[in-house]
Amino acid sequence: MNRTNRRRSRSRRRTPPAPAVQEKEYKGHQGNTRGHHVKEMEATRTTLQETMTFMTALAYGMEQMADRGANGMAFVAGKKLGAKLAETSQKTDDITQALDTVRKLLSANHCNWGFETFKRKAQPTLITKGADGAEKLELVFRDCMIRQSLFRYGHVQKGSMCYMMYGFFSGALEAILGRRAVLEVTHAGQNACLKCLTVHSKES
Amino acid sequence: MSVQVTIREEACRGCQMCVDVCPTKVFTYDDAAAKARVSGVEDCIACLSCVYLCPSMAINEAGYTAVKNFYRDLDFSRRMERFL
Ligand code: SF4
Ligand code: SF4
Repeated sequence: MNRTNRRRSRSRRRTPPAPAVQEKEYKGHQGNTRGHHVKEMEATRTTLQETMTFMTALAYGMEQMADRGANGMAFVAGKKLGAKLAETSQKTDDITQALDTVRKLLSANHCNWGFETFKRKAQPTLITKGADGAEKLELVFRDCMIRQSLFRYGHVQKGSMCYMMYGFFSGALEAILGRRAVLEVTHAGQNACLKCLTVHSKES
Repeated sequence: MSVQVTIREEACRGCQMCVDVCPTKVFTYDDAAAKARVSGVEDCIACLSCVYLCPSMAINEAGYTAVKNFYRDLDFSRRMERFL
């Protein structure tokens, strides 16, 4: 078969292109066309979901092999990432301002990891100070991609993936505040988690 | 709108699981009636642990935002099977 015939037979074998699917346009309540935004959002969400599910599977495997050591490894990895992302952030002594910086850092890095500060009714102030000078406050995490990934396969909470997150906050806050910061889980719930942030004094 | 927590009294069997699980102490136990009571709803963070745990399904919550969980993508599940 000469070159021209080969090209012809190849082009004959080529499957015809699929007919273009007419995308149904999504119209918002004000009549705006937002079809492309919806598609973009769905694609981003699928990517996030696939990445997170993969990470959870890896973390689960790591936990089986390294047992509690997996938590330590994940913590250190998260801490490094937090410290790296926050290294050029403006330094402050104010914890709420530092949390705001972390929130902005997450958002700037396309990380939709919302959290809010929580003050119990009987508590006079948001931040409480202990006798050792350590400051404490509580945080609530609602739409957490780690929790969603864990539930996806029925994995338990408070495992290595959660430790990665504690590490991230410790690393970022330590870089911003210049003090030792520890984030601990008080309660891991089905729809929200409650965490306690302790920022130690410079002297301790 | 703030979170509302109610206990269906007739369904409550007084096991106190809600009292134990709640991280913000929303419930107290009424010894005389042998039932749980909602006493500090202002501190509810809508974690829904009490709702999931109550063996009588006596607890009801309203006025909270439910977290949207990831979809079940069968195609992806199939690809991930070998890691699990
Ligand atoms: S968990 Fe349910 S049944 Fe048990 S005390 Fe609480 S409301 Fe009652
Ligand atoms: S949802 Fe969570 S915080 Fe609210 S009452 Fe139930 S256990 Fe307590």
